[in-house]
Amino acid sequence: MNKHCATIAICLAIAMPAVAAENHGGDVVYTKPVKSVLFSHKLHVEEKGLSCDMCHARTFDMQALKAQENADFTMKSLVEGKYCGACHNGTMAFASNTRCAACHTGVKGGGPPRGGKH
Amino acid sequence: MKQSKHDLGSTKNEGMENVPMEERRQFLKMGLAITGIFAGGTIFSAVSVIDRVFASSEEFTAQYPYKPHYGMILFQNRCVDCERCVAACAETNHVPHEGYRTRILMKEMPDAVGLKREFIPVLCNHCNVPQCTRVCPTKATYKDPVNGIVMMDTSKCIGCLTCQEGCPYNARYFDEHRQAVDKCNFCFDTRLSKGEKLTACAAACPASCRVFGDLSDKGSDLYKAIHQLERPVWVLRPEAGTKPSVFYTKDTSAVAFK
Amino acid sequence: MANGAETAQLTLNGLESMVTTRLKSGSMGYYFLLLLCGGLVLAAAGLGIHAMVAGHDKYYNVYREVPWGILISTYVFFVVTSTGLCLVSSIGHVFGNQDFMPIAKRSVFLSIATILSGFFVIAFEIKIPWRMAIYNVISPNLTSNIWWMGTLYGVYLAFMFAEYVFLLLDRHKPAVFCGFSGSVAGIAAHSNLGAVFGLLMGREFWHGPYMPIYFIASAMMTGCSVIILFHFLGYRINKEEMPVAMKKALRVTAKLGVLLICVILFFTTWKMISGLAGRPAGKYEAVMALLSGPYAVNFWVFELGLGMLFPLVMFIRSKGENLKMMFSGALAMIVGIFVMRYDLVVVGQIVPVYHELGVNEYKHLLSYAPSLYETVITLGGFGLTAFLFLLGEKLFAGHKVEENH
Ligand code: HEC
Ligand code: HEC
Ligand code: HEC
Repeated sequence: MNKHCATIAICLAIAMPAVAAENHGGDVVYTKPVKSVLFSHKLHVEEKGLSCDMCHARTFDMQALKAQENADFTMKSLVEGKYCGACHNGTMAFASNTRCAACHTGVKGGGPPRGGKH
Repeated sequence: MKQSKHDLGSTKNEGMENVPMEERRQFLKMGLAITGIFAGGTIFSAVSVIDRVFASSEEFTAQYPYKPHYGMILFQNRCVDCERCVAACAETNHVPHEGYRTRILMKEMPDAVGLKREFIPVLCNHCNVPQCTRVCPTKATYKDPVNGIVMMDTSKCIGCLTCQEGCPYNARYFDEHRQAVDKCNFCFDTRLSKGEKLTACAAACPASCRVFGDLSDKGSDLYKAIHQLERPVWVLRPEAGTKPSVFYTKDTSAVAFK
Repeated sequence: MANGAETAQLTLNGLESMVTTRLKSGSMGYYFLLLLCGGLVLAAAGLGIHAMVAGHDKYYNVYREVPWGILISTYVFFVVTSTGLCLVSSIGHVFGNQDFMPIAKRSVFLSIATILSGFFVIAFEIKIPWRMAIYNVISPNLTSNIWWMGTLYGVYLAFMFAEYVFLLLDRHKPAVFCGFSGSVAGIAAHSNLGAVFGLLMGREFWHGPYMPIYFIASAMMTGCSVIILFHFLGYRINKEEMPVAMKKALRVTAKLGVLLICVILFFTTWKMISGLAGRPAGKYEAVMALLSGPYAVNFWVFELGLGMLFPLVMFIRSKGENLKMMFSGALAMIVGIFVMRYDLVVVGQIVPVYHELGVNEYKHLLSYAPSLYETVITLGGFGLTAFLFLLGEKLFAGHKVEENH
């Protein structure tokens, strides 16, 4: 399954490099165990230039929110180098146990004062 | 396959060093800590924490006025705005959905170096010179003589809302169900008085952002987190002169997850 | 004394027939106005009680960050007016300045009417007013300016009431005593109202020792305009020619008004400059909201234009003779002062307490606009003043003061 996805991804990446960017998985917002963790394909693929297989070869399936079904999708695992922590380990990218608010984007995203009528 | 030319090795690890921290360092070198807040690029108040929160260093080493003297320190960098604290607070204290006793504020700085967003949890600061209790006409809100918690006696509240005007922390709201102003009381009635050691929010926090405890207990984590010189500790709105029992800090060491 | 004895001899029947004849002397317009004002008061009371029962949050536009709205500012307006009426009128009959003597009775009556209107409005703003009646007495907080203000205004009302009764009975000495005590209570109460705002640390627009003083000065300014307005109207209603002494009294009142407008202009100028110089955090944003932000029209047109400059010109150009000019100046001034109070209360709250923190939630100024309920209750307050004024004119036959005391 993983391999299968990776193959498609690679094919896509090679066959139509220009379109590839648009065919990535978009934004994934995790809700478990805590709400509002944002993973952005745009950032990782378009801006940072990472290839699909860097993630989709082993670490993640091409199915949004699949990872969060696993009981070990926690910070402890990340720090141990699983999931996002495979890269977010302090050498390849900033470590998972720093810069919390980079991945955690917040439940409400900041609105007008609550209780206010405008 | 080699579609990406990106050299991952060169990807910098910017770590925790965002702008405010750098500026703080500068001040720390001068033996000072930041008690103000970082406002759009300028730190407007840099005074020794000890002098700012208590009138003088002597007072600082002297006894805290209450026993236990409940307080809290918030590790601002650890908050991820998961809002479990807000939910736990609402459930424990029957806070109606229109109101809140604690909430998380979000600060975004698109131009910042590294981290561009931070969350700031706010709650009643249980001030040691509270303005709300001074302005209340009927003593419906008062500072508990034993533990220093700013309490509400709902039966006396006339709903003039002057305490809301007086609070520099927006910690109060009028609760139509209670028919009185409502605010955080460190879960005194719902938890502390029943033998629990933590407030609902501190207990619910998965990121150990909120450290609750007794300021007068020198062995407590809270005491140790505040009475040190390695990390800056500050309070919100020091210029209001209310001398809060709620402190803020950021730790530079990586958070340990269990 | 002879007069007092006469009053004592009045029988109830006599009184009744006197009152009915006086009331029946009004024109159709008079009754229409009376009814209209009465209707407004009833509507306001109805909506106010409904909001109280069904929950203020549903019908008022005030909210957590802006807990005080137009009802508080209207209350402030009415008590400012009442205190002003009391102070200006007491210059005559308490402190013995003959020129101010003729305006005493009507002014004292109006100061009662306006403070009652103030209480009427605030009763619907305070969420649980009946608790106030109990706990203000059994659980007083002596450090609370609100407590002092409420208590002292209670005392003030009692003295003003007694003073008016003594004036009616023509018992000068006790009237002077009550007038004096009322003025003292009024000044104390009113400066405490200023302190309610002025002593709040962390509300930069209000904070400062300046507030209590400003409140007293602006009360006197308001008093002058209200005296001119209602005396002019009073003589209109009773269709009488104004006696010379009364004209003279209004002339000095207008002069005093000019002086006080200048004082308030001075205060306002420095308040604005102090909010600009060095851009004091919190205050600067509020002052800018007034000068060039969402409250600029309120400030330039209403506060400054109608509230101060236009009446200043009118009062000066009238030379104290042209009553119509003085009347239009006074009317404009009252409108301006109402807006002044509104801005004072609302602009003091629009800079969020966490503004300096730079968080998304509080980056912008807060906004507030009165709801329908709040507006009607405000109008009801004005209705009550007008109703009592109209009734008083007939009931007390134009509040005539006998000369030569
Ligand atoms: C930096 C890691 C990373 C890279 C690089 C990456 N992805 Fe993903 N992708 C993920 C993650 C994480 C998920 C969500 C998986 C989960 O929640 O279990 C995902 C999910 C997807 C999904 C499913 C989205 C949905 O809505 O169900 C698709 C499709 C996908 N990726 C395509 C791609 C393609 C095509 C590329 C290359 C252009 C790519 N991805 C590159 C991490 C990555
Ligand atoms: C294949 C390696 C890889 C994986 C897996 C990966 N990332 Fe990243 N991520 C990167 C790199 C490289 C950067 C850019 C480096 C930097 O800014 O430190 C980055 C940057 C980010 C940023 C941008 C921070 C900022 O504001 O600049 C976020 C947010 C982020 N990653 C979230 C995630 C999340 C959430 C996951 C897991 C679902 C994840 N990443 C998995 C490699 C990865
Ligand atoms: C690289 C991205 C990333 C960073 C950085 C990060 N997290 Fe997480 N965090 C995740 C992901 C992914 C999950 C699991 C998905 C979810 O809970 O929605 C998670 C889950 C959590 C959880 C709930 C699960 C658990 O372990 O209890 C907590 C609490 C948490 N993070 C706190 C933090 C704190 C505190 C920091 C900073 C010290 C931080 N996170 C930094 C990505 C990140």
